[in-house]
Amino acid sequence: MKNLLLFAFLAFFTGISTLNAQDAGDKLLGLWEPSNGKARVKIEKIANKYYGKIVWLREPNDPQTSQPKLDKNNSDPSMRSVPLKGYRMLKDFVFADGEWNNGTIYDPESGSTYSCVIKAKNDNTLDIRGFVGVKALGRTDVWKRIQVK
Amino acid sequence: MKYTHCSLFSAIKRFGILLPWNRFALLLVFFCSVNVLQAQIPDTSATQEEDYSQYETVTFTDAGARRYCSPKIFDLSPQRFISLAWDVQTPYSSRFSLPGAYSPDLKQGNDGESATASYTGGFRFGANIPVVSRNNILWQMGANFWDTRYNFKDLKTQEGAAGLTQILDERGLRTMGINTTVFKPLGETTFLLFQGSADLSGNYTLADFQSLRYVRYSAAAIWGRRPNDRKQWGLGISRTYRVGEMNYIPVFLFNYTAPSRRWGTEILFPARAHVRRSFNPRNLLLVGYELEGQSYRIAPLSAANRSWEIRRGELRARADYQRKLSGFVWLSAQIGWRYDWSYNVDALGNDGREIFRGFSGSQTYAMLNQLGGALYFNIGVHLVSP
Repeated sequence: MKNLLLFAFLAFFTGISTLNAQDAGDKLLGLWEPSNGKARVKIEKIANKYYGKIVWLREPNDPQTSQPKLDKNNSDPSMRSVPLKGYRMLKDFVFADGEWNNGTIYDPESGSTYSCVIKAKNDNTLDIRGFVGVKALGRTDVWKRIQVK
Repeated sequence: MKYTHCSLFSAIKRFGILLPWNRFALLLVFFCSVNVLQAQIPDTSATQEEDYSQYETVTFTDAGARRYCSPKIFDLSPQRFISLAWDVQTPYSSRFSLPGAYSPDLKQGNDGESATASYTGGFRFGANIPVVSRNNILWQMGANFWDTRYNFKDLKTQEGAAGLTQILDERGLRTMGINTTVFKPLGETTFLLFQGSADLSGNYTLADFQSLRYVRYSAAAIWGRRPNDRKQWGLGISRTYRVGEMNYIPVFLFNYTAPSRRWGTEILFPARAHVRRSFNPRNLLLVGYELEGQSYRIAPLSAANRSWEIRRGELRARADYQRKLSGFVWLSAQIGWRYDWSYNVDALGNDGREIFRGFSGSQTYAMLNQLGGALYFNIGVHLVSP
């Protein structure tokens, strides 16, 4: 009986703490706008990892084709016909120690993917640092939370 | 964490039969596990089509938030974190005058030395690291070190010559410095750009270093507009050594990318101006020119109360091919014509103070020198910025 109660309480508190950590990480969820204002990104959670997809582009159509922009700069030729709208440019972020890391950010302008770490300055501001190898060799962009009117 | 309700149930069974307390415990565990599992269920909505038109009209959640313009436009050549390049020129003729006092109006001084520079070249290192990177301000710091070595042959000297040919042949020239760039967006379409650098140039070596009072300062301040993602222009003023001696000149910034994304310009006139041909984001060609210069203190010619400085300024008309090698490593290969703008020598006070001759000053030169034109090549590898 004692063992059973102990197990139940352990399971209960483990569950609660797990949920708390997830809740803290979930403040990343929502709509965000990079500093250049060229895109809007919706961050979602899939199987405990965070992903951000492009949901709006200031210039949605390719000026050459007048068709919706494709990921034509991707180094993988098989991806060059994928529409940019809906493209997951943030991938595989895991929340730990107050930041989202182990993820990557994709720059459709150059077709390059960078290591990335995300920190929340407050509930409505993110520091998104893309870097090359070590964090010192990187650039931080500040994203602001937006909401649909 | 891949467990199921069945495995939970069997785990509980190992602790005993289902008494009323056990049922309560089971309920607790069930409640916890449902929550945990809910958090782990894949968000299938992410893969489903959604109505993107709902994101057309948005507002910042933080009422005080503002949009600021980016320092870049589409398809600019990549900014470099770390660069290592080798620069070399083909042989050319050199004529150095006898020391004296030559009016700036003169084209040529009294012959002192003439020779053929059979080798001019060396390594160039540069680094540029972001210090502050926020929406409302960007601040970068950089450092550079350039080493230029000379070999001369067929030397002919007149009596009283300064011996500059031999001095250059023995030690070459070096420049090292630090620089900073601040980009301050004022709004969605306007910005301020400030660049400053401090360079120590001369024929010093690390073992025989040059006093820091001969550091030369350059700066530029530009006000600009970025009306869209393809155009950026600005006007400003600069203090520069690009033509060898210090001068104050207006500058004009014009970066542009055509709607086709194949053509563009990268211009900071008069320092450099290039037309850009983008083959793809990993492959581009710049064609244009750059002015390059510094004021090099020559210690063996300097006396107790005089500092002799070569005002080296050259125009490099060139084609610069840049391509991504792998990851974030890029290769650049330049070929061009190096035209001698100035290689004259000024005799300055030994306190390190500069003179301002500008375009119409009458201060005399201590030597009037000429270098023949030469083909040059520059090949470098670069770690580029995200």
